[in-house]
Amino acid sequence: MSKEEKKPFSQTMAEWRQFVYNPRSGEFLGRTAKSWGLILLFYLVFYGFLAALFTFTMWVMLQTLSGDIPKYRDRISSPGLMISPKPVTALEFYFNKSDSKSYAEYVSTLKQFLKSYDDSKQSKNIACTAGKLFEQNEDRAVKQACQFNRTKLGSCSGVEDDTFGYAKGTPCVLVKMNRIIGLKPEGEPHIQCSPKEEGKVQITYFPDGGMIDLMYFPYYGKKLHADYLQPLVAVQLAINSSITKEDVTIECKIMGSPNLRNEDDRDKFLGRISFKVQMSE
Amino acid sequence: MNSTVAGEILLRDGPNELKPPKGTPEYVKFARQLAGGLQCLMWVAAAICLIAFGIQCGQGDLTSADNLYLAIALIAVVVVTGCFGYYQEFKSTNIIASFKNLVPQQATVIRDGDKFQINANQLVVGDLVEIKGGDRVPADIRIITAQGCKVDNSSLTGESEPQTRAPECTHESPLETRNIAFFSTMCLEGTATGIIVNTGDRTIIGRIASLASGVENEKTPIAIEIEHFVDIIAGLAIFFGGTFFIVAMVIGYPFLKAMVFFMAIVVAYVPEGLLATVTVCLSLTAKRLARKNCVVKNLEAVETLGSTSVICSDKTGTLTQNRMTVSHLWFDNQIHTADTTEDQSGQSFDQSSETWRALCKIVSLCNRAFFKSGQDNVPVPKRIVIGDASETALLKFSEITLGNVMEYRERYKKACEIPFNSTNKFQLSIHELEDPRDPRYLLVMKGAPERILERCATIMIKGQELPLDEQWKEAFQTAYMDLGGLGERVLGFCHLYLDPGQFPRGFAFDTEDMNFPTSGLCFAGLISMIDPPRATVPDAVMKCRTAGIRVIMVTGDHPITAKAIAASVGIISEGSETVEDIAARMRIPVEQVNKREARACVVNGGQLKDMETEELVEILKMHPEMVFARTSPQQKLIIVESCQKLGAIVAVTGDGVNDSPALKKADIGVAMGIAGSDAAKNAADMILLDDNFASIVTGVEQGRLIFDNLKKSIAYTLTKNIPELTPYLIYITVSVPLPLGCITILFIELCTDIFPSVSLAYEKAESDIMHLKPRNPRRDRLVNEALAVYSYFQIGAIQSFAGFTDYFTAMAQEGWFPLLCVGLRAQWENDHLQDLQDSYGQEWTFGQRLYQEYTCYTVFFISIEMCQISDVLIRKTRRLSVFQQGFFRNKILVIAIVFQLCLGCFLCYCPGMPNIFNFMPIRFQWWLVPLPYGILIFVYDEIRKLGVRRHPGSE
Repeated sequence: MSKEEKKPFSQTMAEWRQFVYNPRSGEFLGRTAKSWGLILLFYLVFYGFLAALFTFTMWVMLQTLSGDIPKYRDRISSPGLMISPKPVTALEFYFNKSDSKSYAEYVSTLKQFLKSYDDSKQSKNIACTAGKLFEQNEDRAVKQACQFNRTKLGSCSGVEDDTFGYAKGTPCVLVKMNRIIGLKPEGEPHIQCSPKEEGKVQITYFPDGGMIDLMYFPYYGKKLHADYLQPLVAVQLAINSSITKEDVTIECKIMGSPNLRNEDDRDKFLGRISFKVQMSE
Repeated sequence: MNSTVAGEILLRDGPNELKPPKGTPEYVKFARQLAGGLQCLMWVAAAICLIAFGIQCGQGDLTSADNLYLAIALIAVVVVTGCFGYYQEFKSTNIIASFKNLVPQQATVIRDGDKFQINANQLVVGDLVEIKGGDRVPADIRIITAQGCKVDNSSLTGESEPQTRAPECTHESPLETRNIAFFSTMCLEGTATGIIVNTGDRTIIGRIASLASGVENEKTPIAIEIEHFVDIIAGLAIFFGGTFFIVAMVIGYPFLKAMVFFMAIVVAYVPEGLLATVTVCLSLTAKRLARKNCVVKNLEAVETLGSTSVICSDKTGTLTQNRMTVSHLWFDNQIHTADTTEDQSGQSFDQSSETWRALCKIVSLCNRAFFKSGQDNVPVPKRIVIGDASETALLKFSEITLGNVMEYRERYKKACEIPFNSTNKFQLSIHELEDPRDPRYLLVMKGAPERILERCATIMIKGQELPLDEQWKEAFQTAYMDLGGLGERVLGFCHLYLDPGQFPRGFAFDTEDMNFPTSGLCFAGLISMIDPPRATVPDAVMKCRTAGIRVIMVTGDHPITAKAIAASVGIISEGSETVEDIAARMRIPVEQVNKREARACVVNGGQLKDMETEELVEILKMHPEMVFARTSPQQKLIIVESCQKLGAIVAVTGDGVNDSPALKKADIGVAMGIAGSDAAKNAADMILLDDNFASIVTGVEQGRLIFDNLKKSIAYTLTKNIPELTPYLIYITVSVPLPLGCITILFIELCTDIFPSVSLAYEKAESDIMHLKPRNPRRDRLVNEALAVYSYFQIGAIQSFAGFTDYFTAMAQEGWFPLLCVGLRAQWENDHLQDLQDSYGQEWTFGQRLYQEYTCYTVFFISIEMCQISDVLIRKTRRLSVFQQGFFRNKILVIAIVFQLCLGCFLCYCPGMPNIFNFMPIRFQWWLVPLPYGILIFVYDEIRKLGVRRHPGSE
């Protein structure tokens, strides 16, 4: 093979210019305008067709889906737990009980969150039989929701204490279970929290024993069950600040129900949640 | 010389062997495998991964080690493919090494006053050695004593005539003088003793060999192609990566995230498995060739042979059988043709004549050659003979026609003989007759025909002795000219029954005084010999011609012989004339002939010496059929260079040391495995184990096939890069949850798609590739624009749509509608968000979303696999319909598809996969979603092929 001789730079430039636009043949980037046009047209038609095919298959696929319940729910067989208020960065609460600014955000989040649980808003919901699954007839277009009164949350309801205990050094955290359509917990599900180190914190549950009543299940989806209210469990922490200067880690788990998992190796939020609290004075 | 001194000198000078040309150190070779264009890109990607991981660690975020895994995976990919390539290279170099060690050469040396047989590499300067007929000269030797010693210097100087060696110094130049025998030349006959003057690399042959290694090795065409292609790929990868890095920065992603995007795009776009595929395809072909007696030293050479447009072939040993064979006889005023085929399967001539019996007797008796003992079971043509080439030919000829010659000679006891010498130009011997009652002696003589004729008074015709008059002399001249014109070596034979009165039994014949008649003999006939072409060669040359390959003969032999052989094998085709032929036919002087009318041309070394390079190029252009005769090694090099100047890809075949510079200079050097010298084998890229020219044609065919099939393989491999790339582009721009992960991409590239792309190497040729012109290295690239555009923007685009259809289906069926997915990325990937709502109001934890994402990866993976099955089917052919080519004819491909499916199933459904390699078990219907797109690919390509067939020329 003969080696390519080095071309002078000016010639290379001229060749490039020639390539970009060749005035003699009217070629632009190696092709004439007509040729470019045809290619453009071809790809327009080609991609147009593909896009149409794509849209059509998507449409057909969506037609096969119901708007009420998803086709499959096997990825979420068991619910996760979540807390409110939720600190922005990580699940770590830092506040000073004598500085109202330090917990103002938590308080406002809780207030916002509990608004939909106001008694006035729950008048349209019905009172259900406690301790029993509230299964509703399939032909019912709009499912009814059970009442969950704020007052069930006792001193964490914000009714008496509008700082949710933060000012007194007994902060409240609401624990909720993720909504999953059709989930029917078995047994007597309840939330149980424990600090990592024993004795540093005293925990009070609202409602009593952290019970989650079965009457709030199953959930029928946001379209059918628009008024649905998730049952909540409030956890009030009484931190013994004289002993504890560092943060305490609290782990909450859902217990008492065989079909709600709480010990998945990979998913640290499946049926459990842990958060840190550090309080100063 | 005593052995202790020898030991010291051995330590000083090193062993007496040619050092293999200084190879690159092994670690450099290995490092080179790790530092190619694509590999460098992957190193960069791995580095980015590590940096990203490092920064994440620094920020205290220990949740995801994905970047670390990916970096390790990428490094593993580079190292493993590097090891693989290195292993392939190592294996092919080893083949050569094994050649050398096959026969450890022995030498007879006299040390401490005793004879020893030692390994030749233990010899040192000053050793006294003995050589005899059949030995290889173990070092450069100054001859002290010699008895009729002849050596074959052809591998060194190209002279095919045996050279006499004697103690006298006849010339100043060591190459010309008679008292030096050279390392690795053959001693043909006689014995000699000599003192070693040079050993190892300091020998003459060692110097030529090291000269050859000075000639730069040219890059193989396929290496150029792949480099060209890798450059484009690497450029595009960086371009895409860079563009989206900027886009990501502009959209507002953090720098680190943008870097990871850049890395992901590089990983998605670079075809990681491609180099491995190419290596495997080439080594498959190399293996196939090895079965057909072509051993390839350099894998890439496989393809080079396919793009060859000129073959410069040596004559002796390659085109011819490299053994003198009796080809014609003239007796009874008639030329008879002998059988010259390798296996003696040809027709014989009429052997009933009395004259033939007389001639046969002379041939058998007047011959000093003999078979080496213990070869009774070996077929005659293959037996080893001690003696020079013509005598060997005659001995074998009479052995075949007459039977046991050795026994025959016993019956006719030899009384005396005069060996051939250059002053007499004849050889004679006198024998007793078989019949003890017949007291006559028989004198038999052979030699140069004109000298023999001078000594004859009669001629035997049909067993009758007739006076040798002018008429017979003319007949003799005509026959002699005819045979000489065929490029054959002619010998005359005559005999005389001596008068028993004058020469009774027991007469003391004196060879010095010649006290017996040496004239007035009876002429029996002429026998001519030639090194005949191999039976397979004319056919092979014909095939080369139809394949558009020019075969040029370059030989050290005489122009007449060269031309005759060229004509008989078809290098000069029937009806082609040289300038001289035209001049002779039209009876005009050579100068008046229009040179353009002559298709053929024979140039000898002398003419070549006076020629300018341009002139040579001009001649090569003008005459399609060329023969170069009497050429020197330097001239061979010039011829090769001139052909290359014309833009040809040149293959050179050769066997001698003198060929090694040309072998090295050639785009592909082909050495002969049996006759070839080590130097030639070292310089060559390919070795023909059976020394057979026809094997080259097989090589060309395989080379062309592999080029076509590599094109298909690469097209197949490239296609999937688009469906691997688009998920990232959509992910970055539209912010959907990531449809396809980097690890999954690596699995497609290096796991599931390797076997199908290799299986395309087993595809049969679509048309008769040996009827096409060789590819033009400038125009017919391995990867051209059309192929890339078609793979990327058409097939690749369809595959992408298939992937996204399946992806959105899997998302929607699990509760995430397409419109919700758009813009969801930030929330989806937020690992503090444990209650993200889907389209139905259900809340998902991050862990649950992650498994859903893995499901998407798997679904996208399966979509690409399904489309790739369709892709591999369409790539089977480029023009023909797949129905014409046959779906199941390529069994390996069918197996590959089944294998691919099984592997896909394994990855999806093997327990533990989700947490190791991010594969999830997926629902059956998600396998089917991409099917319509697969069918679309197939139908679309069939339509394209139909178009190509209907309107040839438009690709």
